[in-house]
Order: sequence, then structure tokens, then C-alpha cells
Amino acid sequence: MIPIVAYLALSAVIFSIGLYGLMTQRSGIRILMCVELMLNAANLNLVAFSSYNGDLTGQVFALFSIALAACEAAIGFAILMSIYRMKDTINLDTINILRW
Amino acid sequence: MAVENLAFLIPLLPALAFVLTFFFGKKLPSGGAIIPIAAIATSFVLSLLITLRLLANPGEVVTQSYNWFAMFNIGILVDPLAAVMLTMVTFVSLLIHIYSLGYMSHDKAQSRYFAETAFFTASMLGLILSDNILQLFVCWELVGVCSYLLIGFWFHKPSAATAAKKAFLTTRIGDVMFLAGIVILFSDLFKIFNGAVPDGVYILRFDTIFVHIPEIAAINANIFGMEVSHITLITLLFFGGAVGKSGQFPLHVWLPDAMEGPTTVSALIHAATMVTAGVYLVARTFPMFMAAPSSLMIVAYLGAFTAIFAATMGIVMNDLKRVLAYSTISQLGYMMLGLGVGATIGAEAVGISLFHLVNHAFFKALLFLCAGSVIHAVGTHDMRQLGGVAKVMPITAATMLAASLALAGIGIPGTSIGTSGFFSKDAIIENAYLFGETTGSWIPYALSIAAALLTSLYIFRLLFMTFYGKPRTDYGGHESPASMTVPLSILALLALFFGGLTSKTFNTFVSDTFVNNFVNMDISALASLGGYQLAEHAGHEPMLILWMPLIVAVAGFLIAFLVYGLKIVNMDRLVSRNNPIYKLLYNRYYQNSIFTNFFSVKVIYEGFAFAGRAIDRGFDWIVSWFADLILETGESLRQFQTGAVQNYATVVIAGVSLLVILITVVMEVL
Amino acid sequence: MLNKTISFSLMQIITSVYGYLKPRILGMLVALLFLAVILVAVASTGWPSLDQLPQNLEDQSNIEGIGVLIFTDFVVPFEILSIVLLSTLMGAIYMAKGDDN
Repeated sequence: MIPIVAYLALSAVIFSIGLYGLMTQRSGIRILMCVELMLNAANLNLVAFSSYNGDLTGQVFALFSIALAACEAAIGFAILMSIYRMKDTINLDTINILRW
Repeated sequence: MAVENLAFLIPLLPALAFVLTFFFGKKLPSGGAIIPIAAIATSFVLSLLITLRLLANPGEVVTQSYNWFAMFNIGILVDPLAAVMLTMVTFVSLLIHIYSLGYMSHDKAQSRYFAETAFFTASMLGLILSDNILQLFVCWELVGVCSYLLIGFWFHKPSAATAAKKAFLTTRIGDVMFLAGIVILFSDLFKIFNGAVPDGVYILRFDTIFVHIPEIAAINANIFGMEVSHITLITLLFFGGAVGKSGQFPLHVWLPDAMEGPTTVSALIHAATMVTAGVYLVARTFPMFMAAPSSLMIVAYLGAFTAIFAATMGIVMNDLKRVLAYSTISQLGYMMLGLGVGATIGAEAVGISLFHLVNHAFFKALLFLCAGSVIHAVGTHDMRQLGGVAKVMPITAATMLAASLALAGIGIPGTSIGTSGFFSKDAIIENAYLFGETTGSWIPYALSIAAALLTSLYIFRLLFMTFYGKPRTDYGGHESPASMTVPLSILALLALFFGGLTSKTFNTFVSDTFVNNFVNMDISALASLGGYQLAEHAGHEPMLILWMPLIVAVAGFLIAFLVYGLKIVNMDRLVSRNNPIYKLLYNRYYQNSIFTNFFSVKVIYEGFAFAGRAIDRGFDWIVSWFADLILETGESLRQFQTGAVQNYATVVIAGVSLLVILITVVMEVL
Repeated sequence: MLNKTISFSLMQIITSVYGYLKPRILGMLVALLFLAVILVAVASTGWPSLDQLPQNLEDQSNIEGIGVLIFTDFVVPFEILSIVLLSTLMGAIYMAKGDDN
């Protein structure tokens, strides 16, 4: 059997890749894509635990999480479009009205 | 009723007169002067009767005591020392009050004047009569207050108000030392009694103090690494009080400025009575001084130094009253010297010093009253504007001459012919010679002879410049009324004849003050405690020494006559401002500059102001530094808020990771 | 000749990698730190042992089980999720449409 640690390690790696992308990218769309990555990594974790404990609740939770991720991405893109309309850019480094 | 039972009235009647004059004086003619005069005349009669009675039975003194509170008492003690002082004070005060009737007749505040002088006389009499040192201190302070009131009598003049303040503050320094001495004395006696004072024994009464002198002398204090016996400490502190009140160096600075008051005040207070309170204190506690090593030496040296110091300043003053003020300081120095030579002659020192005190009271009061007469008639103090006053005021001139002869000490040694001053000053100078022979220290003798020369010089200078020669300015004057000239004549007779008539009886009478039914002290036994060598009064000094005081007095007279009478030497060159010695003396050794300008203003006043400013600025800086610190921390910390979301995410993740690591590590350690 | 080409391109690669990494060094460090923390935490935990998975391919299907769970134990979250999806749809369309009518 593959030990569960492998699945968890894989999920952690995917999560940190998404994290890295979130922290360093300028463009808003790329940031949203990295958020999706992190969500998927968490889903992977959920399913792994559900499979190794024989309980199906984890998989139901993962399904719901995927649906919610879709909603959140839609709203995120809508917000990004509003920002683009106002500032004519999606370089999130320049959106710093809350500075100091 | 025996006269001694009425002794308590002596200070009480003038006090009553003070109250009556203060409240009702304005309504009576001449400011209600009749009340104090009557009261003091009665006190004089009483003191005279008591003195005569004491002369007849020398061993029985008058004492009465009442419990005041705890272990202190109020009481009176009339022994020979007190009796002669009482008679002198009441007599001089009476004459001066009669004189003031004429002198203050034009003044508006006469009732206040007479009330204050009555109060002063009452406190002085209380001081003389007290039989314990606490009461003496209370009356001592009262006398100081009256002096302040009387010097500042014309308080509208700023110079008078300043002079009164100066007098009070300077004597205050002496009073603080006096009080410190009393406190140490009390604590020592308390320790000796171990806190259990028997009934009827009052701490601080003189008999209790004197009986326990050997025990106090055994207690030692450690000051700056030196072992000082308590008795030396106490007596030096008492002497400090006397230095303030009697105007010895360095606390003499108030006396010349005290001439701002009316001349009668100067005559009463600063010639005859208040300044002699210091001498009286030392005389009263003389057994303590005898038992204290080196106290009497300090008294003698300081007295001799003051005598010459003040005399050097007296010869250059141009103000009538200033010359007399310095003369007073100088003669008080003589009195202290007279007490100081007790190191050699024992209890007789009290006799000769008191004799000089009484004679000095007569002729110095006379000098001040004559000066007052001149000032009242002519209107100016400055001697340079006077001259030839003798033609206008013959009686004043004659009495002034009598007083000058007494002050200079003119007389024939070895006989009974001479002015009072001759007998008393000669006694002091001869005993200073004996002091020099026994202890080998000739400084007091040399200084006293030099001071005698200068004394004669300044007083005859005053006489020639004022009374003889041609008038230098046009002043216009008249002889004074009878109320002023009669006291002058009485005092002049006393100044001339009192000394010769009473010198021997006076000395023996007062020297036996400490052998009676109240205290019985063997002064010679105490001298061994103090480490003094008592010599027998030899009386066999060489003829030259006996004649020396007269020689210097006549020399002073001749110099003054040549310079000021005949005007042989041109004084203008010598007294010009360019002569450094003259400038030094005329500016009174710059004491005013040193003490007031430098010390008080610059050191204390500006020092405190500077310190206050510095502290203020210091606090200001601390507060603003703190505020700046907070502001800068905020400035640097707000850089964290960049506004970019990615940075926030970075910080969150980093924080979480670090937190997990921290907790893991902490859990591992614990 | 080949050496020079290889070394030249190597230098270019290194420069570009370094140029790429330099502004992103902090992000990289934080991500690596986080990864390290998670990995260490996961590896040092003793996971309970598991029983054998069923080997039969058909038996490994669990869609039926999920469907049952959704409509019995978790029906309330399911319905709420549908409403959320509906409102998200409406909100996103509204925001993305902009100011034009």
C-alpha cells in the first residue's frame, strides 16, 4: 500500500507551489489561479483521509468544496473586472490605497 | 514688705506701660510718655533698693521660681551681677525716655515710639532677671524683635526698613547658634538625670546647670575627627549667640546700618542695653566657660580682634553716628576681651568686664545723646559740614568733651583720679598684660593697646571736626531744650566720677556673684577642668605698663589736635580716593560687597534661579524625548502596511510557520 | 567552439535564473519554510494503520454511497449550496456586466 504520508506530502507540495505563486505574481488572474491550486490541494488532502479511514464524509465534503471553489472563482473574476474598469490595470501591486 | 518680694515688678511695670501706651498713648499729651517714664522710674527705685540691700548682705540673693510646664520653670534671680545690670538699664532707660520727650516732640508717631521702648525695656529687664536659660532665650528673642521695630521706626524710608531686616537676620544667625547650644545642653542634662528629674529640680535653671558642669564636661563629641568636649561645644555656641547680639566680628555688620533709627534708639539699644546682652550671657554662664578648654581663649582673641578691627574703620567715617557705632563695636570687643582674660584671673574677669560695661553704658549713651542733640539742632549727620558747633551749643559741647575723655580713658594711674573709662579700660588692658605673661600670647595685649590709640584718635577727631574751628557750612542752630540737656549733664557727671568712686567695691561685689545661697561655685576648681592656669593678681606690673594706656591715649589726642585742630597736615591727600588704604577702610573692607552682592545675590539667589531653570528644562527634555521616541517607533512600524495584498499573504504564512515551529520547540523544551 | 557556446549559454541560463529569482526570494523562502513545516509535521505523526482496500474493481466504486450521503445526512448543506450557486451566478453576472444597459 502507498502510505498516506505520500498523499499528504503531495498535497503539501501542491499547496506550497500555489502559495509561492500567490505571493510573487503581479497579475490578478494568475493570483486567482493559484488560489484554485491551493483549494485543490486541500481537496486532495480531504479525499486521501476519507479513503484511508473508510469514511465517505470526506468525499462529500470535497464535492461541496469544489462547488464552492467555483462560486468563489466567479465572484473573484467579476471583482477583477470591476477593478480593471476603474484602474485600467490588473497589476495588483499598484492597488495600494490602504497603504500606511 | 521686704523689697525683694517686689522684684518681679521690675520687668512687669514697663510691660504694663507698653500695653497702656500702645492703646491709649495717642490720646495723651506727648504720646503718653508719662506712663513709661513713671513705670521705669519705679523699676529704677526698686532695683536701686535691691542693689543696696545686696551690698549689705552679699550672700543672700533673691530667687523665686514657679513651674511652667514639664521640667521648666519661670523665675527670677537677683544676684550681684543682675543687680548692677538692672540698676544701669533702668537708669539709662529713664534718662533716655526723658530726653526723648524733647527729641521726638516733632514726630507724629510718638505713642508708638514710647510703647516700643517700654516693651524693649521690659524684655531687657526680663532677660537680666531670668534664672533659667530658656527664659533668657525667650527674652533674648523679644529684645531682638524690639530692636527690629525700633530700628525700622521710620519705616517709610526704604533704607531704614532694609537696615531693620539686616539687623534681625544677622542676629538671627547668632540666635540659631544659641538655640543649638541650649538644645545640646538640655539633652546632656536629660541624659545625666537618666530621664528621671526629681521634683523641685528644674532642668535649665542655672543652679542645676552649674552643679552638673563636671559631668557635662566628661561627655565628648566627635566633630570632623576631632574630640570636642560638650562643654566647649555648648559654650562656643552660646558665644556665637553673643557674637550676633553684641556685634563681634563677623556678625557686626548690622550695627552701623542700625543708625537709621532715631538717635535715642541708638543710645538706648546700641550703646547701653541690647548689645550688652551678649556680654551678660557670657558673664552669666561664666562657670561653664571656665570649665571648657579653649573657649575663653577664643573669646579673648575674638574680642581683641573686633576691638582693633572696628577702630580702624572708625577713624575714616564722616557720619557722626557711624563713628559712634564703630566705637560701640570696638568697646564691646574690649568687654569680651575682659571676659576672656578670665583664663588667667578667674572670676574677677566678670567684675572688670561688667565694670567696663556699666561705664561704657554711661559715656556711650551720653555720646549718642549729644550727637542726637547736635543733629536735632543742625539737621545734618555729616561731620564735614560741621565745625564750631561749640559756640552755638555750649552745654552739649561740654558734656561731649566729658564723654570723650571718659572714652579715651584719661586719668592718672596709681591714684583714684580719672574718668570712669580710665579705670575700666585700664583694668582690662592690665589684665590682658597679665594674660600675656601667663600664657605667653601677647596678641590680645598688643591689639588692645593699638585699639586704645585708635579710640582716642577717632573720638578726638570727631570732637575737633564737629565742635571746634570755624563753621564749614552755614547750618544755623540753637541749644537744645532743658528736657534734653538735663539728662546730658547727669550722664556727664556719672561718666566722670562713677568709675573713680566705685571701682574697688564694684569689682569685689560682682566677682563674688557665684558664691551665694543659690549657687556655690569654686571657680578655681573649674579652671582645672578647662585646663587654664590661674595666676594671682600680682598688681606689680612695671610702671611702664601701668602708664602705657594713658600714653597712647594722649598720643591719639595730640595727633587729632595737630591734624584736625591746628590743621598742620593736609589731610586732603591722605583721604583722597586714590589712597588704597583709605579706600579699604572707607569701604569697610568691602564687607558689604562681599556679603551682600557676592554671596547673597550671586551665589545663593542666582544659584537657585539657575538650578530651577536647569531642572525645568531637564523635565521638559525628558517629556519631549519620550514623545519623540513613541513617534519614531510608530513611523518605522507603519512601513509594514504596504497596501499590496501579496505582502499581507506572505506575512500571514510566514507568521503561521514560525508560530508552529515556536510552539513545537517550546513543547519539546518543557 | 562548442565549449564557448556551452559556457556562454550556461552563463545566460544562470543569469536569467538569478534574475528571475532575485525579486522573488522572500516568497520562495516563505513557501519553502511553510512546506518544511508541513512535511515535518506530517511525517512525524503516527497515522493509524489502515485495512486493505477492496481489490475488486467494481466494488471500488463509491458513487452510490456518496449519493446516498448527500441526500440523507447532508441534504441541508446541499440545498444551501444550490442557493449559494444561484446567488453567485446572479452577482457575478451583475458585476461583470458593468454600466451599460
